[in-house]
Amino acid sequence: MINELLLQFGHWLEAQQYSQMLVAGYYSYSWLEATHVLTLMVSIGSLFIIDFRMLGWVMPNVPASIIAARLHKPMMVGFAIMFITGALLVYAKPVETIQSLWFRMKMILLLLAFINAWIFNNRLKGAEGNWDNDPVAPKALRTGAIISLVLWCGVVTLGRYIPYDWVDCTNTTNTAILWAAGCVDQLNAL
Amino acid sequence: MNDSSKWDDKAIAAVSTAAIMLGALLYYWIGQGQSMVELLELAYGSFKFFNNPLIF
Amino acid sequence: MLGSILSQYARTLSVFAALLVIVLVEVLGIREAIYPGLEGFFNWMNQSSWLGVLGTTYGSVYATVEAVHLLSMAVLGGAVLVTDLRLLGVIFRDIPSETLVTGTHKCFRWALLMAILTGIFCAAGVANKVYFMEVFWIKMLVLFAGSCFMLFIKQPFLTSRPHAEIDPWMIRLLAITSMLTWFTVAATGRWIGFS
Repeated sequence: MINELLLQFGHWLEAQQYSQMLVAGYYSYSWLEATHVLTLMVSIGSLFIIDFRMLGWVMPNVPASIIAARLHKPMMVGFAIMFITGALLVYAKPVETIQSLWFRMKMILLLLAFINAWIFNNRLKGAEGNWDNDPVAPKALRTGAIISLVLWCGVVTLGRYIPYDWVDCTNTTNTAILWAAGCVDQLNAL
Repeated sequence: MNDSSKWDDKAIAAVSTAAIMLGALLYYWIGQGQSMVELLELAYGSFKFFNNPLIF
Repeated sequence: MLGSILSQYARTLSVFAALLVIVLVEVLGIREAIYPGLEGFFNWMNQSSWLGVLGTTYGSVYATVEAVHLLSMAVLGGAVLVTDLRLLGVIFRDIPSETLVTGTHKCFRWALLMAILTGIFCAAGVANKVYFMEVFWIKMLVLFAGSCFMLFIKQPFLTSRPHAEIDPWMIRLLAITSMLTWFTVAATGRWIGFS
């Protein structure tokens, strides 16, 4: 049911003039994708520096909370640009993306990464004691940093898989993959 | 710090390299911008980001 | 006399020698002379070297290494931005710039190493294509120049004296050059995929 609705929504988006113009334009889609990828250096770049600091890998002589606080703004600006360009990329190729197994897995990991970031932030605010100047953060924050690193590595990797067609609806007969990717037409034809 | 040690080997190398590289990179990107505009004007008659071959 | 000037200005002279070599290679037509001979090597990289065979046979391995390449570039970009935005006085104004310049350099070096190693694999997988791309050669030139600039010019200079003793415009020049360099490396890299 939900897959049918998503597919209908995808077809509706695809029929829009601006969606078609984005894909067909000589530079528009490439620029959009390039901006999405290059902004990784701002968003993930800042986030990983914060995580690395919690683990004591970079700048152990700078208080961890200062690193986290000062990099928060550039990181959020980066993620905002990534979200906008990402949404436009989906808008440009809606049906293909909605039925992409990698895209769906990426969205799940993104959700987990944001939940982890929320928990991490709360722990950071609640962390008591004089750990701020310690080379490594307390265990709870270190665990959060490692989970964050793993999840974001997964998000980037799955994002990189999206353009590849290995498990596209038309390229697989595996029912589990067809179900997970929401390949409505192919599942009905089985 | 006196002036002679301020403009030592490291400082001269840093400023000259940075100036040369910055100049070369700006030259490259301005050239890229110009060729992009030329290409779009050649293909579509005007510079449009959302140029659509299906419509034009 | 000459010996003392050479040793006193070794770094500066190396920079101008490198610039002279680049100009001569271009003016004397050495680049055009060498270029055709490289095609065989690039074809070998793509079709016969184990890196190329692995990359062209297993699409999933290639895509995964591409992802590691992207992640390395993200970390590299993070390290560069933190350092250079501090040098420009945009962020971390309450932390001495000397602390950040030394603190992020290790991270930068590791990210650069990872990016280069994964980049060699990525290039091997499409070596027969990138050989003909101008943007690939631009990227290689900027990557080489940028790495030398960061490791042998910018870092040694910025760690050699307190930043208060350096003209602020010199610091700004170094920071902007560094950011534009790594933006160019990343952007031309992304463009290789579109060409």
